[in-house]
Amino acid sequence: MPEKRVVLANCGVIDPEDIATYINRDGFKALKKALKLKAEPVIGEIKASGLRGRGGAGFPCGLKWDLARKAQGDEKYVICNADEGEVGTFKDRYILENDPFSLIEGIAIAGHAIGAKKAYIYLRAEYRFLLGLLEGAIAQTKKMGFLEHLDIEVRLGAGAYVCGEESALMDSIEGKRGEVRYRPPFPPTKGLWGKPTIINNVETLMNIPRIVLKGAEWFSGMGTEKSKGTKVFSVSGDVAKPGVYELVLGSSLKGLVEDLARAKKVQAVQVGGATGKIIPYSMMDTPLSFETILGAGAVTVFNESRDIIDIVYRTMEFLAEESCGKCAPCREGTEAMAGILERFSRGEGLEKDITVLGELADTMMLASMCGLGQAAPIPVMDSLQHFRGAYDNRIRQS
Amino acid sequence: MAEITATINGRQVKAKEGMTILEAALESGIDIPTLCHRPELVPIGACRICVVEVEGSRTLVGSCHTPIAGGMVIHTHSDKVLATRRMIIELLLASHCGSCYMCDKANICELRKIAADLEVGLPRFQMRKNYYALEDISPYIVRDLTKCIMCRRCARACREVAGHNVFGIAYRGFDTKVVVDFDQPIDKEVCRDCGVCISFCPTGALGKPREAKEEKRGKPLIITS
Repeated sequence: MPEKRVVLANCGVIDPEDIATYINRDGFKALKKALKLKAEPVIGEIKASGLRGRGGAGFPCGLKWDLARKAQGDEKYVICNADEGEVGTFKDRYILENDPFSLIEGIAIAGHAIGAKKAYIYLRAEYRFLLGLLEGAIAQTKKMGFLEHLDIEVRLGAGAYVCGEESALMDSIEGKRGEVRYRPPFPPTKGLWGKPTIINNVETLMNIPRIVLKGAEWFSGMGTEKSKGTKVFSVSGDVAKPGVYELVLGSSLKGLVEDLARAKKVQAVQVGGATGKIIPYSMMDTPLSFETILGAGAVTVFNESRDIIDIVYRTMEFLAEESCGKCAPCREGTEAMAGILERFSRGEGLEKDITVLGELADTMMLASMCGLGQAAPIPVMDSLQHFRGAYDNRIRQS
Repeated sequence: MAEITATINGRQVKAKEGMTILEAALESGIDIPTLCHRPELVPIGACRICVVEVEGSRTLVGSCHTPIAGGMVIHTHSDKVLATRRMIIELLLASHCGSCYMCDKANICELRKIAADLEVGLPRFQMRKNYYALEDISPYIVRDLTKCIMCRRCARACREVAGHNVFGIAYRGFDTKVVVDFDQPIDKEVCRDCGVCISFCPTGALGKPREAKEEKRGKPLIITS
């Protein structure tokens, strides 16, 4: 299965510290084209392309922009979510390291489309080493006169997983404790400092210049019915060739894991990070798309030597640690689940624990305030469905 | 304010635009239990006890903060909703210290009352409990954070009603805690005797120092039927 490089087209080709190499490869042509147009045709083009958010939720990008453009507000903001906190993702890092200019161009187009004068790049604290590169790239772009309509500022996170969630991210930029907000109101109507805001993932914004330059038709020619374009995957775990791969949406998971990353004796694959679905080997033919499985594109491979309960337990421990502590189902539920799974990992599970796990999962999925609590039980439920035997073996015999 | 019509539990209900689902339900005589919400405070949606089912929504929605919209079809006491509320209470009880016999506010405790209303008994699982030292050095307020359920009413009442800003939130996940300054025990230097937060606390986490021969407040909670 061949790779298709759209988002990563410039990675490894241009010099990320020199804007001239980017301009030589049609750099900022899309921005010039967009600035000549009014906002509506730009948003119309993005809508027609069918681009959906690459951060995991898959919200239609054009619709988000349209809502923000139509929202009333004296100021509007664009936020680029570079808080790549999801376990097992490193695609944004690869992009930022190799092609920061495309991202800046994407942000500049977004700013023009919704009428924002200020944009933030929210960079995770662990990526501090990229700060100099990113600020250098912004300064070079400004010097070339491409950022007259928009001011871009890089903000560093403080190391919280939940701050990758859009409302917690906004709280963090505002200088508050990173905690989720309830919705509605949604960010396009009331976001950062109560003003209309769009928050897009790095990869989503990377697609923007490509779509504006080559047209929506070219973009929507790739992918499946509801998932257009390509997706960058971060493959790690028990594979011979871990790394960043870009595939057309709808490609099979098996092809990515076995042909490209050269994994052997696969037991299960977790797609989408800590809260991602666990796919057993027997279901590896599943295509990768928004309709089936995708998340933020983290693909973690576990071979037959791995203990599935141990994996799920460690994941839940991580989520319990990273819950923001605001809403009860997530704060207490992750802790309770971690406690039950810990007993299973010691071989002291109880029959009734499995019922309790199911009920806990339902409550957390239905009542939690944000994606963390809602998705936290997914790996537990998947492992119960596909690897029930592993749980039964750990029930205390007495 | 335009008037809108929605359906709650199969009944047509009129409401004003901008009202929350909770307000609309209360106005038409439907009771939804709440724990973190108080009408005097800005909603926060932290406890999730007030969740209701709105047809077409993937998850349940918090009724204390979600504005009602025309044509909404809402179920406030469906099986799904009740099961969820029960589980949240069970979780809160599992991590609660459970010393109700000794607690001054046991008879007026909102957590106990909701647990009794929803018929939640002893939790089915063991959970870590957060034990904190009793903060009783202030002559005005006693804080027993072991009994805290993180509804944050105290912090919000202090800010929004009393106009002070004594409390803050620190740590994360299960260790999240309402703190004073940099997690110092509350004393008379930072907080005087306004006592607003005490009246807002649903459990026994905040109270006045007990005087000699003082009896427990409220009538014993007797569960009938």
